[in-house]
Amino acid sequence: MNLSTVAWITLLAPLGAAALILLVTRTNRAAASGLAILSALIALVGGWTLFLNHAEGIYQGFNWIDFGKDFSIPFALALDPLSRTMLVVVTTISPLVFIYSLGYMKEEEGFWRFFAGLAIFLFSMLGIVLANNLVMMFIFWELVGVSSYILIGHYYGKPSAADAAKQAFLVNRIGDFGFMLGILLFWVATGTFDFSGVNDSAELFKAHPTLLAVSCVLIFCGTVGKSAQFPLHVWLPNSMEGPTPVSSLLHAATMVAAGVYLLARIFPILSASPDACEIVAWTGAITALGAGILATQQDDIKGILAYSTISQLGYMVTGAGLAISAALPMFHLFTHAFFKCLLFLTAGSVILGMHHEQNIWEMGGLRKKMPVTFLTYLCGMLALSGCFFFSGHYSKDLIMACAWEHHRGIFWVVVIAAALTPFYMTRQALVVFFGKPRSEHAEHAHESPLVMIVPLILLAIPAVCAGYAPVEHYFFHSVGSLTEPEVPHFVELVFGAAFVIGILAAFVIYRGAPAKDPIRIPAFHNRFYIDDFYFWIVRVIQGGFAKLCSFIDRWFIDGILVRGSATVVWTIGFALRFLQVGNIQAYALFFAAGVVGLLYLLLTIH
Amino acid sequence: MNTLYLEIAVVVLGIILLMVESYSASANKARLAWIGAIGLFGVLLLSFIPQHAPAPGSPAAAFITSDLLSVFFVRLILAATIVFLLTVPSFFPALRISLPAEREGGGLGEFAILPIFVCAGLMWMVSAVDFIMIFVSLELATITLYILATYLRQNTASLESGTKFLILGALSTGFIVYGISWLFGTTGTTNLLALPSAIAALPEAAVTPLLFGIGMILVALSFKISAFPFQFWVPDVYQGAPTPVTSYLSVASKAAGFVVLIRLLGALWAIPAVSHQIHAVITLLAALTLIFGNFAAIPQTNMKRLLGYSSVAHAGYLLMAVASLSSKMAVPAIGFYFAGYLAMTMLSFVVLQVVSEATGGDEISRFNGLGRRSPLLAGAMLLAAASLAGIPFTAGFIGKLLVFEVALKQGHYGLVALGCVTVAAGFYYYFKVIRAMYWQQPAEETSIAVPGALRFLIAVLGAAIIAFGVYPAPILAALR
Repeated sequence: MNLSTVAWITLLAPLGAAALILLVTRTNRAAASGLAILSALIALVGGWTLFLNHAEGIYQGFNWIDFGKDFSIPFALALDPLSRTMLVVVTTISPLVFIYSLGYMKEEEGFWRFFAGLAIFLFSMLGIVLANNLVMMFIFWELVGVSSYILIGHYYGKPSAADAAKQAFLVNRIGDFGFMLGILLFWVATGTFDFSGVNDSAELFKAHPTLLAVSCVLIFCGTVGKSAQFPLHVWLPNSMEGPTPVSSLLHAATMVAAGVYLLARIFPILSASPDACEIVAWTGAITALGAGILATQQDDIKGILAYSTISQLGYMVTGAGLAISAALPMFHLFTHAFFKCLLFLTAGSVILGMHHEQNIWEMGGLRKKMPVTFLTYLCGMLALSGCFFFSGHYSKDLIMACAWEHHRGIFWVVVIAAALTPFYMTRQALVVFFGKPRSEHAEHAHESPLVMIVPLILLAIPAVCAGYAPVEHYFFHSVGSLTEPEVPHFVELVFGAAFVIGILAAFVIYRGAPAKDPIRIPAFHNRFYIDDFYFWIVRVIQGGFAKLCSFIDRWFIDGILVRGSATVVWTIGFALRFLQVGNIQAYALFFAAGVVGLLYLLLTIH
Repeated sequence: MNTLYLEIAVVVLGIILLMVESYSASANKARLAWIGAIGLFGVLLLSFIPQHAPAPGSPAAAFITSDLLSVFFVRLILAATIVFLLTVPSFFPALRISLPAEREGGGLGEFAILPIFVCAGLMWMVSAVDFIMIFVSLELATITLYILATYLRQNTASLESGTKFLILGALSTGFIVYGISWLFGTTGTTNLLALPSAIAALPEAAVTPLLFGIGMILVALSFKISAFPFQFWVPDVYQGAPTPVTSYLSVASKAAGFVVLIRLLGALWAIPAVSHQIHAVITLLAALTLIFGNFAAIPQTNMKRLLGYSSVAHAGYLLMAVASLSSKMAVPAIGFYFAGYLAMTMLSFVVLQVVSEATGGDEISRFNGLGRRSPLLAGAMLLAAASLAGIPFTAGFIGKLLVFEVALKQGHYGLVALGCVTVAAGFYYYFKVIRAMYWQQPAEETSIAVPGALRFLIAVLGAAIIAFGVYPAPILAALR
């Protein structure tokens, strides 16, 4: 079997599984989960085969739209170092989450529907990874949006879940609209949708730096939506309404990282525009800091992790905006995928043990009742906090060191965010796992079944090791250079200090695991009131505008334009019907008149 | 493979079936339709073996050619005939009512066999390059269609329909023969391939008689493709003829007419002496046909008549592409339009056939509440109507897109603007059916049974509408 076939099978296996579940096996639980997991395992084998064999090049599929040379959209797969590494991330994590879901979703309604949704998601995500042109990526981009919508709204009977799903979809649409405009702009400018063609077009834009910057920023809008960057970050915390495996796979490890992957994909052309890079880097830095602040005051175990995800995505986006190497954001994406996925899965384990209680102030002392969960959580938490010898340390420090080298302003912003990370994670760890149980559920918490524990342990390994130099070299040496810039000694001290200060502050405040949060900052707790502000905009401005439109539509457009023209047209039709007398002599007469008219025209026109 | 073999195979199939028919028991008449459909499917497969025209110099070479256009439309006509034959057995109950019952099952078999001869005639017509051949094959197809249109002998509507068709058809036949003789008289040839050089050699004084001949031929072809003002037979004949025949008439017969029109105009399009006049006339015909077909459809309440007007309207869009024949994309656009048109028109007629069988009438009100009574039928009709109206991701949308694009590139801005208005009108009358199906109360709640063959057709045609609409490249590639 050649690599091209392997790539196609890898992409299509999950689609096949989803189709079989939805059309054939339907509500059969065993078949649904079996098919989905089987397809994820096929993708795992396929993804690693492609990686280990250094699959390289474009695997042609078919010409989807072909209107000649000027406008054709092929459907083809692009294999290069970047997509291979991303492929490994997606295909390695997915089967673990799929298997974990067997345990987590065991008691839930719509078990089969859930697995079909996961399979559709995996197909769409692999499509994003393997797409060789912007249009194809956009299609799969929307498909992950749809699968995210389906999975967030899994408990669609619950209004909050249905609302969250709707919000996620709509907010993403805003970003995607910009993305689409960006694609069109690039097409107008370069005449191609292919990544290779777009990335090689820096020459073309030499004389038009503004056009390039605008195009890149429009594409970046897609990232802002999908990777939940400020100001479109609001959907991600709400998406936690979905089942926890979904939060873990889609809204932490892979789907939200697709925005960063997109930036890495267009990195050569993006880095040719300093203005665009500046915008990208600042957006990332502001998001990293803002979300970090909000994470410190959340009460929901998943909510904290959600804001932390936004914050880490901010780091990756900053890394892309520094315009050094595509490998820089991808390295953090790589390590983050493992430890954040792990953190969410441990949170899921806690939630299940707590009988679906998610408020951390109802937990406490879970360390002894859920030892494996606690230990694996610790691996993830230390990796996220940037502790020495844990993966997050290497990738995050690299971004900060590069920021020092290239952009001091951004450096100080992300360093503050880096101090917040250990703070809110320590807070979460202390409140959830230490101290005394704060509720009935916490008293009777129990460790999760083996089917959930094993994926946790398997994920803990990369969460610890994914940042080590050999691993980094193995996965990233062909993606781009990752040499650490020379930084003054005190900068390294700053990194260490950020980590230590964060942890110490949390220890001081939350030592002894108090029953209630000793600090309450309403602005942080209420998400800076951004959600309320958006709601106000939607209600007052959009609602008012809609009322105005409705008025115009009802009285002017419907009343005059539509009814008026409809009446005119109907009258014409009614009049024409009188020609249709049904009498054959009359038809023959019309026929003859037609002949005379046609001949008259033919013979008199000159 | 010599392209003549395809037509010969079809004729032989028809003759064999006629012989089988005389010996088959009355209960087995449906089998004839199945055999016919399978046989034609075999011919359809044969058409994918590389075809070549008769060897140059051989007698047939002067009459028949084999090019991308003919191969494409031969397949289209075969496909339409197969669809027709598959709908025939489920039409037998309606036939039985309207045929004199001297002998049980009498007359049923021929209804399944005659279409095969029409098919052969139309296949010859799309491959023909000589007016003698065109005329003979046209008559073979048309005369057989007269019989099929009047097939419900005890039904006055069907008789009326057939008579009108016959008389007006005869009129148009007269015009085409007269036109061919003028053409021959001035140029000395009836061969389309020889026509351009023959015209180039003509003195200027001969242009007027030549145009007169061309005009006569255009009249007859306009009748065939139902262009205004020669379309008056369409609603009446469509309404009265048996539903499968109407469906076939609106697709296969019209397609063959368009191919002849393309061949004739293709030969004349670039000749300075006549091109100017012809361009103007075709553009005008397109505009008038668009206006009439779409606006007159609006007040219709009968589904078959509505589809008749719709067929006129689609002829208008196709004429837009014909008026842009200078563009290389015009012929692929027409071909694609017809491929989609086949799927969506025949799908709506299949649904109509089932619904009128179950409810006893063709009015749009018979579709009331179909969404509740039979979601499958309503869904199929919804798809067909959406495609006829031209909603994205259906074949109809891509077809219109291609036609408009071709017309725009050739500078027919007026036609495109008019086309946009008529498309909007089209939404109105196609959506009347959708409104009836989903927003009206059904007269009765019982579900409607769909025969297996028709269910198969609904699935295949519906899939084709979506497939062509999402992935149009293969069809377009077939004509480039």
